[in-house]
Amino acid sequence: MTDDSQRNFRSVYYEKVGFRGVEEKKSLEILLKDDRLDTEKLCTFSQRFPLPSMYRALVWKVLLGILPPHHESHAKVMMYRKEQYSDVLHALKVVRFVSDATPQAEVYLRMYQLESGKLPRSPSFPLEPEDEVFLAIAKAMEEMVEDSVDCYWITRRFVNQLNTKYRDSLPQLPKAFEQYLNLEDGRLLTHLKMCSAAPKLPYDLWFKRCFAGCLPESSLQRVWDKVVSGSCKILVFVAVEILLTFKIKVMALSSAEKITKFLENLETGLSSSGWRL
Amino acid sequence: MAQQANVGELLAMLDSPVLGVRDDVTAVFKENLNSDRGPMLVNTLVDYYLETSSQPALHILTTLQEPHDKMDTDVVVLTTGVLVLITMLPMIPQSGKQHLLDFFDIFGRLSSWCLKKPGHVAEVYLVHLHASVYALFHRLYGMYPCNFVSFLRSHYSMKENLETFEEVVKPMMEHVRIHPELVTGSKDHELDPRRWKRLETHDVVIECAKISLDPTEASYEDGYSVSHQISARFPHRSADVTTSPYVDTQNSYGCATSTPHSTSRLMLLNTPGQLPQTLSSPSTRLITEPPQATLWSPSMVCGMTTPPTSPGNVPPDLSHPYSKVFGTTAGGKGTPLGTPATSPPPAPLCHSDDYVHISLPQATATPPRKEERMDSARPCLHRQHHLLNDRGSEEPPGSKGSVTLSDLPGFLGDLASEEDSIEKDKEEAAISRELSEITTAEAEPMVPRGGFDSPFYRESLPGSQRKTHSAASSAQGASVNPEPLHSSLDKLGPDTPKQAFTPIDLPCGGADESPAGDRECQTSLETSILTPSPCKIPPSTRVGFGSGQPPPYDHLFEVALPKTAHHFVIRKTEELLKKAKGSTEEDGVPSTSPMEVLDRLIQQGADAHSKELNKLPLPSKSVDWTHFGGSPPSDEIRTLRDQLLLLHNQLLYERFKRQQHALRNRRLLRKVIKAAALEEHNAAMKDQLKLQEKDIQMWKVSLQKEQARYSQLQEQRDTMVTKLHSQIRQLQHDREEFYNQSQELQTKLEDCRNMIAELRIELKKANNKVCHTELLLSQVSQKLSNSESVQQQMEFLNRQLLVLGEVNELYLEQLQNKHSDTTKEVEMMKAAYRKELEKNRSHVLQQTQRLDTSQKRILELESHLAKKDHLLLEQKKYLEDVKLQARGQLQAAESRYEAQKRITQVFELEILDLYGRLEKDGLLKKLEEEKAEAAEAAEERLDCCNDGCSDSMVGHNEEASGHNGETKTPRPSSTRGSSGSRGGGGSSSSSSELSTPEKPPHQRAGPFSSRWETTTGEPSASIPTTVGSLPSSKSFLGMKARELFRNKSESQCDEDGMTSSLSESLKTELSKDLGVEAKIPLNLDGPHPSPPNPDSVGQLHIMDYNETHHEHS
Repeated sequence: MTDDSQRNFRSVYYEKVGFRGVEEKKSLEILLKDDRLDTEKLCTFSQRFPLPSMYRALVWKVLLGILPPHHESHAKVMMYRKEQYSDVLHALKVVRFVSDATPQAEVYLRMYQLESGKLPRSPSFPLEPEDEVFLAIAKAMEEMVEDSVDCYWITRRFVNQLNTKYRDSLPQLPKAFEQYLNLEDGRLLTHLKMCSAAPKLPYDLWFKRCFAGCLPESSLQRVWDKVVSGSCKILVFVAVEILLTFKIKVMALSSAEKITKFLENLETGLSSSGWRL
Repeated sequence: MAQQANVGELLAMLDSPVLGVRDDVTAVFKENLNSDRGPMLVNTLVDYYLETSSQPALHILTTLQEPHDKMDTDVVVLTTGVLVLITMLPMIPQSGKQHLLDFFDIFGRLSSWCLKKPGHVAEVYLVHLHASVYALFHRLYGMYPCNFVSFLRSHYSMKENLETFEEVVKPMMEHVRIHPELVTGSKDHELDPRRWKRLETHDVVIECAKISLDPTEASYEDGYSVSHQISARFPHRSADVTTSPYVDTQNSYGCATSTPHSTSRLMLLNTPGQLPQTLSSPSTRLITEPPQATLWSPSMVCGMTTPPTSPGNVPPDLSHPYSKVFGTTAGGKGTPLGTPATSPPPAPLCHSDDYVHISLPQATATPPRKEERMDSARPCLHRQHHLLNDRGSEEPPGSKGSVTLSDLPGFLGDLASEEDSIEKDKEEAAISRELSEITTAEAEPMVPRGGFDSPFYRESLPGSQRKTHSAASSAQGASVNPEPLHSSLDKLGPDTPKQAFTPIDLPCGGADESPAGDRECQTSLETSILTPSPCKIPPSTRVGFGSGQPPPYDHLFEVALPKTAHHFVIRKTEELLKKAKGSTEEDGVPSTSPMEVLDRLIQQGADAHSKELNKLPLPSKSVDWTHFGGSPPSDEIRTLRDQLLLLHNQLLYERFKRQQHALRNRRLLRKVIKAAALEEHNAAMKDQLKLQEKDIQMWKVSLQKEQARYSQLQEQRDTMVTKLHSQIRQLQHDREEFYNQSQELQTKLEDCRNMIAELRIELKKANNKVCHTELLLSQVSQKLSNSESVQQQMEFLNRQLLVLGEVNELYLEQLQNKHSDTTKEVEMMKAAYRKELEKNRSHVLQQTQRLDTSQKRILELESHLAKKDHLLLEQKKYLEDVKLQARGQLQAAESRYEAQKRITQVFELEILDLYGRLEKDGLLKKLEEEKAEAAEAAEERLDCCNDGCSDSMVGHNEEASGHNGETKTPRPSSTRGSSGSRGGGGSSSSSSELSTPEKPPHQRAGPFSSRWETTTGEPSASIPTTVGSLPSSKSFLGMKARELFRNKSESQCDEDGMTSSLSESLKTELSKDLGVEAKIPLNLDGPHPSPPNPDSVGQLHIMDYNETHHEHS
């Protein structure tokens, strides 16, 4: 009841009339006030609403387990994380894997490699595909999260989640994508199949990198809100929606290479066309 | 002539294309016309226009002014113009209406012209003109009555025209009826185009003829002409005698003329007296025909009137009655215009004329077939004309009577043949023959009624009816009747079939004894026909007629009247007629039409001509002309020519009329034929009807039979029904009886049943009683037994009572003895009881109190328990929370630790890598150099370490929270900052050796310790070094090592040899742990002979010790 009293008394009517998300921020704040943060509630919230940017980092950290649900231990845990970060960074610097000139994303990658014990013998070794994925995500994350410690941790945990939690579901996504596309627009799918572009679509970009580098930051944040909160299916819908949005252009393209190329270089087109999720 | 040539040139110039010239010429013409009053110029203009149809000429002509347009006083031209106008008018009724006033004007002027006679116009011409004006009057009055009458009214209301009206117009008006349009129509209605659309030209002509009372003009279609004839002729005659109503109607103009034919016929038919005659007359007339057909007439059926006979054959035939009429009127009344040559003829002669013409047809009609008769009649008539003409000079009235207007075509034809062509006559004759053939040919197919279908018959029938009517009326008023009869006979004419005349002929034949004149006339006629020589016979007939004038009435009277009245009537009528004739001669004017005058003129002229031709030799012709016209012979030729022209015009006009009539005839004939076809169809239908009637009769008979049979059957059925009814009745009766019986039996049955029921009830009651009594009996017996047992008990009790009484007495005795001791005991007992009771009560109270307290206690404890549980739960929660929190932290720490582990691994890897490289560079050289330098370096290092290392170590310890093994890491890493100088300076390498983490020194410690011991001679010191060189507590190595060392430290490391063995074991373990590193220490054994600094070792030892202490604490 106290929660309700704090909330805007009009909120009930807002919802009735159909204004969703007027009180999102407030409700999120209420959620965050709980001493033991309820991760489940936070999950559902972030599934349903886009997170306010000021709370995004916090929520992501909580959801990804970087911060414990207890407010008390936040400071301490964060200190640990920070120290760990600095230690690892230091170590990397010591072994001269990383210098000040190294791009931040690569730094994160090396750190991640170090922590996971996969650090190659030499920085000049060619990168594994999964490392590329990490790099892409890290790059995108870099833009979203200011603090480098946070960024590293979120990226690390995010990738971790992809590799553990979604390990089984991610390979199924292309199939689901085709299925939904068939439901939405069978002609488009047949066109893709005709061009034999269906198997060559940038599934890696979409589902492994979670559109990192493909969508503009604001859109990507929203997509990742869902991904962080535990739904990887959003990726399929986003992909279907992208195809439907650019249906005319895609239909106009006849070869699989062109289609793939077009879809891979979407970000410019999307930002220019004002496409939003 | 010069002027004329000039005019010719001017005319040629009139059509010049140059406008100026044309205008000049027209100006000249106009000037001339204004100045010159002669007709010459105008005539040339007209001629020119007719030749070239030049517009300017027309223009000049149309703008002619006063003197010229009125110039023409030539009667011939005027008459021609008027006739043309009359001919044209019916053809252009609609388009001519805008010139209506002009027409009226023409009429007004010409009529006044007739009277005033401007210039020296011959009377002969005037007659022509007058006739044409008369015709114009008829035409205008017939076509536009309202307009015309209004014109007359306005025109003749002026005083200057009054005379003209009196003299000319009024007589004309006497020859017309009141036009129906005057009553129903209006001025505008007359000019309505719709009125004219329905009418063809000949219709218009006939319309005009209908309103005419002039027998020559009038139409005969509806019998007006007849009544007119009668009325025109006889009013004066019958005026005194009119006793019968019929005559009155005949006499009065309005009535007689306006009554339509059909009504008059109806009247006739309604009069009962006539019926026998009308029926008988046809039977006599047509013996061969069926009685039915005699009454039947297509004209009656169609509601049509007979058309006038076609001009070809009719005129000669019909001319006779007309001529007679004209003859009488002309003769009796004289010419109103005062025609010069005519002299009033005697009345008797006129009648004789009548007779001639009646008898003539009779004679001609004698041949059975029409065609033959006509063929024969025509020449005979022609001959008669000649005959009449021949004697014209001697007996003008007679000749006049024979040649009539209707005869004119023939007559004119004769004249024309004299002049130019005989062909015309032939043509006409041919046409007439053709027509007659057509009519007869059409009539012939209907042989049974052929006579009636012929146009003549139609006339004959009404005629005969009229005749019979007149005969009937003559029975009432004898004096007048002969005339109608006559007229009808006249009208019938010679053309009517012979049969039609039989009713007249028969009485005539019957009245043979009647005046001889009649017979004479007949004989004379016969002779006239049989002997065609004209010269001799006419006189004889004339004589005959003259003497036999009265007889024509006689033979009719004989039909209807007794002879006694006959003579008287004859005398009377004779007188009256004479008087009337005289009076009409005085009145003169009204009834003579200009036509008649013209006719007479022509006849006269023809007669004179023929007579002169006969009498006089040709050269002296001029004398004859002077005798007639009184004009000089030089003018005579011109006059004659003009007259000829006039006559020709007249002829053309008449021909036009004839053609119109012919058209109409044909149309009517078509209708007749249609009617005949319908008639035949009707007859066929009637036959069918008859057949059907026969059938119906047959059916009726059979119906009757069937009815009879049916009635028989009905009777049989009735009898059967009655029988059955009686049977039914009997059966019903039986049934009722049975029913009654059964009812009786049922009632009886009911009674019986009731009885039985009653008896049963009674039985039940009796049974009940028996039972009751039995029960009572048993009860009584029981009571009896009871009472007996009671008695026994009573006896027993009594005995007991006695015994007890005795015992009581005994106890009473005993009681009295023992009464004193018992009371104390009881009291004591009571007191004891009371105490005991109180005690127990207090005890109970105590117990309850305790119970309460304990219960309260229980409650308290329970609440406590609950609280505790709650608390416990909270605690658990909290614990969980805390656990979670701790776990979170722990996880973070663990991850950190993991990271650290990774870091160290990385570092180790790095170090090993470096070692590997170093080795590669060349071991031996270094070894030698190092041996020398090692000692120095060690010494230096010891000094350095003693000063600063401890501080740095402490700092490191704080940082890394008790990570022993890593205490020295910062330094080597810093020193190792430049890996490129790895293989370079030996000092660096030596320092690195010294600063290597625990393991290498430790590894080295083993082998070198012995050396150290040997060199330094301090075995005790060697032990701490080993202890100090223990790896970090948390690493696997460290754990192991510590376990091992702890045991040794506990045992105070009494066994020196143990150290070496220990180092050995450690070495193996290490080699196992880090496969790559395993060999390195072995290899390093050689190059690291120099023992670690004892100070540093001690330092380490202290540190370690402290740490262990710390750990233990």
